[in-house]
Amino acid sequence: MTIADLVREASADLDSHVSSSADECLKCNVCNTVCPVLRVTDLFAGPKYEGPQAQRFRMARGQQIQGPSSSAVASPDHSVDYCSGCGWCTTACPAGVKIAEMNNQARARLREGKRPKLRDWGLGQTDLTGSVGVALSPLANFALGNGVVRAVMEATVGVHRKAPLPKFAKSTFASTWKRRGGERGTGKHEVPGPDAAVVYFHGCAANYYEPHVAEAAIEVLRRNGFQTIVPEQVCCGLPLISNGLYDDARGRARTNSDVLADYARRGYRIIGTSTSCTHTFKAEYEEMLDLHDDDTKAVAQATWDICEFLLDLHDQGRLNTDFGELDEDLPYHAPCQLRSHGIGLPALDLFALVPGLRARDMDHDCCGIAGTYGLKREKYAIAMDVGAPLFEKVKATGATAAACDSETCRWQIQSATGVRTRHPVEFLLDAYRAGDRAREHAARA
Amino acid sequence: MPHADVVVIGAGLSGLTAALRLAESGAVVTLVAKGHASTHWGSGGIDVAAPQGAHTPAQGVGLLGTNADHPYAFLGEDAAPAVGWLMERVAAAGLGYTGSLEIPIRRVPTAIGGTRRVAIVPAAQAAALRPWDRDEVLVVAGPAGYKDFWPAAIADSLARESVWHGADRPAHVLAVAVELPGLRERNNLNALELARRFDDPDRRTDDLDRIARAVHKAVGSRAGRVALPAVIGLDGHADAWADARARLTLEPFEIPLVPPSVPGIRLWRALRERIRAAGGRIQVGESVHRIEVVRRRVVAVEMEAATRVHRIRTDAVVLATGGIAGGGLVATGDGHVVEPLLGLHVDAPVFDAWLLREALDPAGHPIEAAGIRTDHRLHPLDPATGKPAIANVLVAGALLAGQRALRERSGDGIAIASGWRAARELTAETTRTPVGRAPATSRSAS
Repeated sequence: MTIADLVREASADLDSHVSSSADECLKCNVCNTVCPVLRVTDLFAGPKYEGPQAQRFRMARGQQIQGPSSSAVASPDHSVDYCSGCGWCTTACPAGVKIAEMNNQARARLREGKRPKLRDWGLGQTDLTGSVGVALSPLANFALGNGVVRAVMEATVGVHRKAPLPKFAKSTFASTWKRRGGERGTGKHEVPGPDAAVVYFHGCAANYYEPHVAEAAIEVLRRNGFQTIVPEQVCCGLPLISNGLYDDARGRARTNSDVLADYARRGYRIIGTSTSCTHTFKAEYEEMLDLHDDDTKAVAQATWDICEFLLDLHDQGRLNTDFGELDEDLPYHAPCQLRSHGIGLPALDLFALVPGLRARDMDHDCCGIAGTYGLKREKYAIAMDVGAPLFEKVKATGATAAACDSETCRWQIQSATGVRTRHPVEFLLDAYRAGDRAREHAARA
Repeated sequence: MPHADVVVIGAGLSGLTAALRLAESGAVVTLVAKGHASTHWGSGGIDVAAPQGAHTPAQGVGLLGTNADHPYAFLGEDAAPAVGWLMERVAAAGLGYTGSLEIPIRRVPTAIGGTRRVAIVPAAQAAALRPWDRDEVLVVAGPAGYKDFWPAAIADSLARESVWHGADRPAHVLAVAVELPGLRERNNLNALELARRFDDPDRRTDDLDRIARAVHKAVGSRAGRVALPAVIGLDGHADAWADARARLTLEPFEIPLVPPSVPGIRLWRALRERIRAAGGRIQVGESVHRIEVVRRRVVAVEMEAATRVHRIRTDAVVLATGGIAGGGLVATGDGHVVEPLLGLHVDAPVFDAWLLREALDPAGHPIEAAGIRTDHRLHPLDPATGKPAIANVLVAGALLAGQRALRERSGDGIAIASGWRAARELTAETTRTPVGRAPATSRSAS
């Protein structure tokens, strides 16, 4: 073996680790130029310092850090907590340094061995808060809409009083689906093969807050010849990962993979309406949680964002394009999580197929919310400043509705602008229904 | 489905130029890049050619073009029209440039107190280009405690005659470090944060007045110019610069700094805005890992994505991936230089020739000129046949063989001329065989 071979082997090994990708850093500062948080506050020192530079301190004690739990060295200081995890730094880095991932692991390490703040723990448990909230929805929604309650929440728990908390649904999507006798993959009904059925992962948002997004997705899929299977599922675990609770997140990952991997192996595609959940399946179980088993891989390979899936159907000439005219100006915001998918902007490509739908990319980096970041008392103002130019642009369009693929971004935009913000599939369903009406009208005439 | 008439790979000056000209011609163009490129590292100026012995960039282009292996041998004629065209486009986005290929190359100060030879610079750097009058004073002024711009050290160095290489120079050089509120206690302050501070009209008025008072105190009524760090506004640069000129009693100019380069980011933003306005798409953060070729034609470009590749079908590719620094060329540990996407033949020295007798040989290192050989239409050549290795790929920018961009100060000119020509070649092709897809106006710029 030549020295060159040894070098190649060693560098291939290094490249695969988030932590050691710090060695690729050229110190060029490009990450700092795109960081939305650094743009508005100096509480955060910027991705270059928090990521590859601080990483040297973390690695300095002679310990090769493989994952969050193997290191005693947390971080030179606590400012890395102000990283929102939007991922722009990793996207812009010309040298392939996994900066956002590095910072996420550093945040987890900061919290290691300490009891999590009640708030961070609570914001991480979206399925628990969701179930309780839906069960008590009239009361919970009243309470969350009440200024006094919110002020108390801010003082005690640390969730900012103005932070955009969505309203709980009257009942969960999963229970409605079950009541209607929908297929939960239990074998009660004849389930079509993977060419005519897909697995739907509703995640927490569509389950507890926005069942109408799930309904729209299922109807759009039906109109494209796909029945929907909704297996038992729990939160994808992303809120836990963002709040540094990796062990809890691994539990969620295993529960989901136990059910979903079997479908994946049988050739079913797993479709999600939340770009965050689907990205967690695709990348974060392996990258952040260090899960490298076959089940995790099978789930990752089978997972699709719904717009990505529909656009792929179109690519094969299989998308139902019986869209009616919508005649609407539509501001669109591409969420950070979508960018991490690396799939372009499929929603815009789909909107371009709808006659009269004049969708326009708002071309802004981040709405600020970054999952649960902007809900926190000490970060709310930062999040609002990050999103401010986007809010101005959306308001300036004068449109009555906006589109965005990710739920927390939708809530942030809607709460900051007053413009109703919906998932792209909802507009596609509008267009199908407009098509129905046009055909009915033509048939009658 | 994603389909583009042309996929441009690389977000440096060559890729941006090609994408803009293609989008303006009505082609459906998508620019993909793994990250931000040289715009964020460079000075924001346009270095066309300043080899030893050239008095103007035009002369430099001619001089370099006499070497048959140099890109200017076939691209030289495009340098002036392409650069002029780009300066117009950038001006339309509110970012003025000064200079041309016909004016004398002059020495302007750098942020470490040296000088560099330029002829085309952003308007905010233009005052540095003018010859120095007999009694003129240069005041180097910057915020106190800012680690990327040390007025005292810069002024000390610029006071030495040798730094100016015999060119005319200011009679006196003074340093002024100005306390700006709230900056002293800041660590890790970078140029971009300062630039955003100057975007704020109230803040900058106060900052500029403080600088103006300090400069006036140092210079009195003597004539001269003020060198400022290149941080006078980012989004609001035009207004910030107008304020700086109005409030300072001496004429100011900006000195570009270490990365992140604010003048370079202004240029990137201006070009990005024009490309989007013309209907082009830009996707930064998508690393191309494979180009699919069928029967010596590219049919699709594939980017790394979470779990599965993201694919764009295309009729042509502009390969503007850069040289070794940009990742368009990769040097392996055993002395080979490869082009990783298409495996194009790279013109590079053999490993034995990498080790020179003299360190810093003034003739340069042979690896500097490594790159892809093309015909005059920018098709990469197969050395075995001397014919295009692939039908619908054009090569542009730092990837082209035969340039020694840093030594010749020719990189920006080659990038712009080759990007411009690549677009023209493809436009001519698509006119012959129309692709038949109008640009999607629905996603034009906001």
